[in-house]
Amino acid sequence: MPLGADLGIFVISLGAGLVGALAGVGGGLFVVPALTLAFGVDIHLAIGASIVSVIATSSGSAAAYVRDRMTDLHIGMFLELATTTGAIGGALLASVVAPDFLFILLGLVLLASGGLQLVRLADQPAAAVAASPLAVRLRLFGSYPDRNEGRTVAYAAQRIPLGFVLMGLAGLMSGLLGIGSGALKVLAMDAAMGLPIKVSSATSNFMIGVTAAASAGIYLSRGDVDPRIAAPVALGVLGGAVVGARILPHLSNGAVRRIFVPVLVLIGLQTLARGLGLL
Amino acid sequence: MTAERFRVWVSTVLIVGVGVSAALVTAGFVSGLIVGWTGSLVGAAPGTAAPTDFSAMLAGLGALRPIALAQAGLLVLVATPVIRVAVSLVAFVLERDRLYAAVTAAVLGLLLLSLLVVR
Repeated sequence: MPLGADLGIFVISLGAGLVGALAGVGGGLFVVPALTLAFGVDIHLAIGASIVSVIATSSGSAAAYVRDRMTDLHIGMFLELATTTGAIGGALLASVVAPDFLFILLGLVLLASGGLQLVRLADQPAAAVAASPLAVRLRLFGSYPDRNEGRTVAYAAQRIPLGFVLMGLAGLMSGLLGIGSGALKVLAMDAAMGLPIKVSSATSNFMIGVTAAASAGIYLSRGDVDPRIAAPVALGVLGGAVVGARILPHLSNGAVRRIFVPVLVLIGLQTLARGLGLL
Repeated sequence: MTAERFRVWVSTVLIVGVGVSAALVTAGFVSGLIVGWTGSLVGAAPGTAAPTDFSAMLAGLGALRPIALAQAGLLVLVATPVIRVAVSLVAFVLERDRLYAAVTAAVLGLLLLSLLVVR
């Protein structure tokens, strides 16, 4: 592989990590389209590189959230049963489905992520509810310190079976496409299980690394993790995410949406077109 | 063990894992740009193993091959969440939290299954 390609993959991954952090969707979503569409990398090698980079970015930010007591370790561990099972299934499935199907699915996920940005969930503390017998038995309840509110907010998981199934689906998509599936994880905890958005985001980040590791193991043993691609991708996405996290507080939500929703839609349409054989 | 200390452990595992991994992957990537991925920093003959063959890593590390440094870094990265789960298992056992010791052991089992058995 020529020298220029190595550096090119690093630079495009840096961009993917940066845009992912600014758009709030994680770098993994952009890495696979960038590598396949711009560099002609085989989609399985691109997914193998992407899933490894997802571990790097999520573990870095998870470390901070865990100390801040935003992460619910019980809810995270319990739901990881579902995400890791789904991820193993997704990674196994990825090698047998047609690459075109992966492009189409990824294109749809990009478009859906763009749509989710438009109806971004309101940052409201969930109303305190009594814990159901199942939540008590599984100890899926707790409290977190809310700095904005200046008090400790209590919560309890609701609709646990639905949340568990959605988490399995999030794991499946993660293993299939090499993405973190953070948006789906947050949706499962916030909208389905009625958990506060801050706890959902922090716990989702905490779970992404373990979910990604489950499918990364399979990609690795299958020979789909090529260090010549995965090394510059992991470094680039991690670097881009670190820079993005520093820029983000200086941007307004409106600006973020105006810039990144069109980017998500454009890349989603390109990926979809590739899957449909139009590109 | 207190819940606070548990959180510090988990967070430390994550930071150290990502840090060590990033250092190894950077060393592999930068030296790969200089001597080539299958070259050697100590002047050994070019390696013949496939870049995706992680079983050649130890021999490659002996010859300071960029590809082996990158492989080691990527392995540390994949292992980091697994170690985090293992540390959590120890913590739940020490807390005598039977339910979550069992849940965590099952997640660890799934992770090891994916790393070691499934092809």
